Amino acid sequence: MFSITNDIDVQDMARGAVLLGSGGGGDPYVGELYLRNQLAEGRSAKIIKASELPDDAFVLSIAGVGAPTVIVEHLVSTNTLLRLLEASESFYGRRIDALISAEIGGVNSMFPLALGTRAGLPVVDGDGMGRAFPHLEMTTFGVYGCGATPSILMDDSGNVAHVRTTANRIAEDVVRSVCAALGSMIFGSFYPMSGRQVKQLAVHDTVSHTLEIGRRIRQARESQADPVAGVLEFLNAPHEGRHARELFNGRIVDVLHETRDGWHWGRVLISSGASEEPEFRIEIQNEYLVARNRGRTVTIVPDLIAVLDAESAEPLTAEMLAYGQRVRVIGYSAAPIMRRPECLKVFGPRLFGIDEDFRPVEDLSAEEPVRA
Amino acid sequence: MSAPRPVLGVDVGGTNTDAVIMIGEEVVAAAKRTTTPDVGDGLIAAAQAVLGTAGIAPDALGTVMIGTTQFINAFVQRRDLTAVAAVRVSLPKADGIPPMVGWPADLIEVVGRHSYMVGGGSFYDGRDYAPLDTAGLEQAAADIRARGIRSIAVTSNFAPVRPDIEQKAAQIIASVHPDADITLSSEVGGLGLIDRENAALINASLRNLSRKVVTSLRDALGRVGVKAPIYFSQNDGTLVSTEYATRFPIVTCSAGPTNSIRGAAFLTGIQDAIVMDIGGTTTDLGFLVRGFPRETATAHLIGGVRTNFRMPDVLSIALGGGTLVRGAPPAVRLGPDSVGYELDRRALVFGGKELTTTDVAVRAGQAAIGDPARVRAVPDAMVQSVLDRIHTRIEDAIDQMKTSSKPVPVILVGGGHILLSRSLRGTSQVHRPKHADVANAVGAAISMVSGRVDRLFDFAIGREKALEQAREEALAAALAAGAEPGSVDIVELTELPMTHMRTTAVQVKVRAVGRLASGER
Repeated sequence: MFSITNDIDVQDMARGAVLLGSGGGGDPYVGELYLRNQLAEGRSAKIIKASELPDDAFVLSIAGVGAPTVIVEHLVSTNTLLRLLEASESFYGRRIDALISAEIGGVNSMFPLALGTRAGLPVVDGDGMGRAFPHLEMTTFGVYGCGATPSILMDDSGNVAHVRTTANRIAEDVVRSVCAALGSMIFGSFYPMSGRQVKQLAVHDTVSHTLEIGRRIRQARESQADPVAGVLEFLNAPHEGRHARELFNGRIVDVLHETRDGWHWGRVLISSGASEEPEFRIEIQNEYLVARNRGRTVTIVPDLIAVLDAESAEPLTAEMLAYGQRVRVIGYSAAPIMRRPECLKVFGPRLFGIDEDFRPVEDLSAEEPVRA
Repeated sequence: MSAPRPVLGVDVGGTNTDAVIMIGEEVVAAAKRTTTPDVGDGLIAAAQAVLGTAGIAPDALGTVMIGTTQFINAFVQRRDLTAVAAVRVSLPKADGIPPMVGWPADLIEVVGRHSYMVGGGSFYDGRDYAPLDTAGLEQAAADIRARGIRSIAVTSNFAPVRPDIEQKAAQIIASVHPDADITLSSEVGGLGLIDRENAALINASLRNLSRKVVTSLRDALGRVGVKAPIYFSQNDGTLVSTEYATRFPIVTCSAGPTNSIRGAAFLTGIQDAIVMDIGGTTTDLGFLVRGFPRETATAHLIGGVRTNFRMPDVLSIALGGGTLVRGAPPAVRLGPDSVGYELDRRALVFGGKELTTTDVAVRAGQAAIGDPARVRAVPDAMVQSVLDRIHTRIEDAIDQMKTSSKPVPVILVGGGHILLSRSLRGTSQVHRPKHADVANAVGAAISMVSGRVDRLFDFAIGREKALEQAREEALAAALAAGAEPGSVDIVELTELPMTHMRTTAVQVKVRAVGRLASGER
């Protein structure tokens, strides 16, 4: 177990959460401020390893659902979070022992910590994807049989919706509809699980990863060292044999953003300046899905792609990319559990309309050494 | 049409007060004086100097336009700020992040942490989600009054869509606290409650100072005998009235760099360029697009507080005429430290002991400053190596500012331009205009007026129709600000769709700009 007690740690976590968001998940700023206010009031965030949970512990995921434009106005209500906890405990008929994030990438890394800190509940060091994904069903929890529902959804005015669906994919659609009906920003509890399930199914240690990633970037900046090298060193440290490497270093020469059916679609072209044609290309569908160097795939979903500001190594979400930025791109292997065949059926490349099989970033790098 | 009347353009900076007199398109006089503790005295000195040089009677001036960094400097230095109260109309939403969370402690110490949250607010589509809590507002106002606080910032949820909620709240507060001096968030910012609320609070904390400074400047001009109407430059290079500047000092916060960029544009006649101000310690680069500075797209920190206030996108690099040079070729190092304003004591050419970039420029024959004999011993290889490094740094910075690979013209202002002698990669031409040292006062003198819209529009009525409505609102706002009918153009239009939602609401930002109607310029 460890505690988060100061603002610097919270800011580091927010920065790390953007990197793990692989371009998506939203800006954690609102969650960061919420947590900082809790710390200022004398509380602290307690984070426990899944292994510390008793098998029969009861664990819930807490998430905000809504549009980025709306969350920056409506922010977050402590009353709503506490009522959500209360309603969930009364609905399930038992005490909740710990909270967990379903999505560590972006703003939803912060809401379980927000409620956990306020209510004095520990948060599990892990999540359901180790990154960000656009749909509720795209979690390891879901792949291995946990229902996203029964779920409780709540707005700030006291409206409550109980959702119970026959499939997690349907839950996604129902939650979106409820969200739209309630002003496009709601909070919900999802994926009720036992301690035993969490131990088996979570992507582990991702909360501490956000902290450590953010910290490495900050410390390297402070000591004038190369912050990207600092991050890579951490990502390549032996966590389940994961692998990370720099894919490209260049300047954004074209960005296409468009919104179709409520999702952010896009493509970014990056050039090293060495040749006329931009060599590097990333396809975006809320998240960065596939990176190609001279047409050759170098990282593909569910492996992670992170785009960092070349100077500061500040991780950039897809919405933040703009023409002329100097960026460095990192490919990072997803946790082993995320790459199993049954997982790839729920969030592999073909689920995003990419006509290509998943191949691990470490194999792609062995295939063709990349000249950046 | 009668001959254009002379215009007085002034820049009241932290160190210098610059003034120019322009007649039509021509700079007929320029002066630089020291900024005085009471800003009025410095203004009098600079104004009298240019009027004297130009041989113009004070009452012959048609318009006076003032740019100032007084307010931003005061806020950054936490000086002359007044205690503020934050009233947020948002419950049952947003209670988890009260006003001023994340503010620097030294700022809280000065302005206090007086915050109130009451019921009310709107959804993104303009529907109320809760009734306005009149009793709560009255209670807050009474408490604020009892604490002896006058300056108040009112912020409501989705105020850019529903400014009337804030207006109503302000009326209720004023009914209980008649002396209240209220800033509404919808008057100073766009979407993003925290950033907008922060901007309103910063503005509220500057109201006492703005009253003092604006009065002092107006009185000073009165004492000089100026009878012309007085305007202030705001961040986007357009004008506001003295009354408006008093109420919204925050809108002037980055008029300094804006005026410098626009002044450079005017002095060269170029509308699209990079403007580079090489000073003693830093080089500031701005990007000129259609005669106006490009603004930052993301949140911006003012004195450690995040706002969504749009500022000129300025890139500062640690390289100037006073930058210290160390090491030997090929491993020479530039700065990042600089001798700054002590250049005339510490640089070699002035008899000092430290090698600066200015010394190298003199040694290379690019400038005649101080005593060239004192740098004769600097080896050629060193000179070449330093010049290489300077040009590379500047070229990299230019590259970072550019929006396409096409070569762009560069306009040099500021005293440090002597550092550059070669053509610059990625540029089409380098301009060094006359009067470059008072470009900011020129920028003030040529200011126009603008109108802005930043809110959600429903594209269900058709995209073109919605955009047309947004354009019309911006045009009407420009006319209301004093623009001459017929001279107003839309200079910017941005659409930001709401991602993650299947909705037809789109955030639209429009800016319209036109000539000042009363200016007769």
